[in-house]
Amino acid sequence: MKLLKVENVSMIFGGLTAVKEFNLELNQGEIVALIGPNGAGKTTAFNVITGVYTPTIGHVSYKEKNITGQRPDQITKQGIARTFQNIRLFKDLSVLDNVLIANHLHLKSNFLEATFKLPRYRREEKQILEKSLNLLEKVGLKDAQGEKASSLPYGKQRRLEIARALATNPTILLLDEPAAGMNPKETDDLTEFIRQIRDDFKLSIFMIEHHMQVVMGISDRIIVFDYGVTIAEGNPYEIQNNQKVIEAYLGVAEDYA
Amino acid sequence: MKQKKTLLTLIAILILFVFVFIADQTLDSYKMRILNLCAIYVILGLSMNLINGFTGLFSLGHAGFMAVGAYTTAILTMPDIVKTQNFFMTPMMKPLDTLHVPFFLALLAGGILAGVVGYLIGAPALRLRGDYLAIATLGFAEIIRVVFTNTQSITNGALGLKGIPVSTNIWWTFGLALVTVLIIGSLINSSYGRAFKAIREDEIAAESMGINLFKHKVIAFTIGAFFAGIGGGLLGSLLGTIDPLMFRFFLTFNVLLIIILGGMGSITGTIISAIIITIGGEALRFLDESMTIGSLVIPGISGMRMVVFSALLMIVVIFFNHGIMGTKEFTWDGLFAKFAKKPLAKGGNKQ
Ligand SMILES: Nc1ncnc2c1ncn2[C@@H]1O[C@H](COP(=O)(O)OP(=O)(O)OP(=O)(O)O)[C@@H](O)[C@H]1O
Ligand SMILES: [Mg+2]
Repeated sequence: MKLLKVENVSMIFGGLTAVKEFNLELNQGEIVALIGPNGAGKTTAFNVITGVYTPTIGHVSYKEKNITGQRPDQITKQGIARTFQNIRLFKDLSVLDNVLIANHLHLKSNFLEATFKLPRYRREEKQILEKSLNLLEKVGLKDAQGEKASSLPYGKQRRLEIARALATNPTILLLDEPAAGMNPKETDDLTEFIRQIRDDFKLSIFMIEHHMQVVMGISDRIIVFDYGVTIAEGNPYEIQNNQKVIEAYLGVAEDYA
Repeated sequence: MKQKKTLLTLIAILILFVFVFIADQTLDSYKMRILNLCAIYVILGLSMNLINGFTGLFSLGHAGFMAVGAYTTAILTMPDIVKTQNFFMTPMMKPLDTLHVPFFLALLAGGILAGVVGYLIGAPALRLRGDYLAIATLGFAEIIRVVFTNTQSITNGALGLKGIPVSTNIWWTFGLALVTVLIIGSLINSSYGRAFKAIREDEIAAESMGINLFKHKVIAFTIGAFFAGIGGGLLGSLLGTIDPLMFRFFLTFNVLLIIILGGMGSITGTIISAIIITIGGEALRFLDESMTIGSLVIPGISGMRMVVFSALLMIVVIFFNHGIMGTKEFTWDGLFAKFAKKPLAKGGNKQ
């Protein structure tokens, strides 16, 4: 079964076609990368899948169900979580709170049960806390649980953002430039980390990334955007040898790699 | 440790009630009135902080919710003959003219009605963002006032209501302030409270984490309106008279001042600041009266107090825009850490 299917999606802002006739099929366990020069429309494609924008044309379906036009929270609830290109943590809240918040969507207790700490809520809160601490342990942030999110070093903030997305229990994880601003060592760790969470959490991953080292290392398939248009699609080997890609992107991309 | 903290909290509550008891026995009625106002402003401040401080909504409709609570409580507690005396222009609508319930139920009804009104206003207005929400809620509060001025047979219009039974006493105000602190504190420290704070921090990220923005904003707004209604009901029954003019924007401004000074997003900050502002407001009352310095007589300028208040607000906003407490809380952990002269324990700013 195709987990995620993007069919013929175009996103037009006024006169600007940010994404044009985009198609994607994501299978269980796959890692697919989306690359392309700045302003190519990659983040816009993410925003369409996650419900931030409703596509001007086309459909998005998840597990064979049409999710086009649903709100971001509804889409996340069904199993698609994301991170942001410019980290968007809840800055003034603690590391632990950031992860706890991402569990709220599955809470069954209503606000009265929560306020008056009724048994069902107490049970749920205990589970959420345990689950969150486990998750923080897994991503190596347990010791930082009480710190303010904004006080973490950059690499750890990226990691926390991924942990927060994982806390929503996704089956698909969308990562928008997870290695941005990282040094080579951090980039290596991240590559390994992504592979590991894919296996541990049985995820499919769709990610935007400029670091060729990361992209070529872990992607099953790569999609290349240029001015909103998909100019190539294939495995890392095919993409590296694709003439169009070399012209449009890789030539310029020396500085990213 | 946890038990120890609960014990400390219980002891603190006990001390509070001993204080209330002694105050009740010894203080004159003017001082009692100020104490009552302190507690009422704690309730009002917390209810507004839930909406504006914790959830990050820019709402200016507080006076409207208070008016709903105050009128409901007054109408449900006034004896028949006082009602007839009040409504000499237009007789009161049936069955309101003979309806009354015990004080507590009247307060509760005022809170619930304010909550319902909050929900009805919130449902459309909370779809608006930032400044638009402020304008919409401000407009709503003015509309409530105009409606109350014109529904003669229910509210007695511009004449207002006089002779409202003064059922509010220090036990009610301090008791309900305590209940409000406990309830709003418990809500804020629950999963819902975390969701509210997430919305305040970053709406886009919160929505992407599966939080239904609209639903949570409506919950915070409605609960805030409920407590504003309770506060309004207590205030009306403390003063004994209410009229639509009492619920001008000025009243909302007063509460806003409290939460900005205390810290948007701090319960303990709100409590401290409600007390400072209420007592300070009384202490500054001399500014409105005429003064004699030596042989010089300065005529009183009414509204001078408000000028000083507004200047205070501006100073707070400009120089310490996080208020007294910011989003921090006073906690036992924090206190222990201070005495132990050690850095704050992990998670020390949580209750
Ligand atoms: N809400 C919007 N309204 C108007 N134009 C937009 C909007 N969002 C994106 N765009 C435009 O769409 C184009 C694609 O932007 P997008 O952010 O998707 O690029 P990107 O591939 O993610 O680039 P980068 O590598 O810099 O992150 C840009 O020209 C951008 O200005
Ligand atoms: Mg982008």
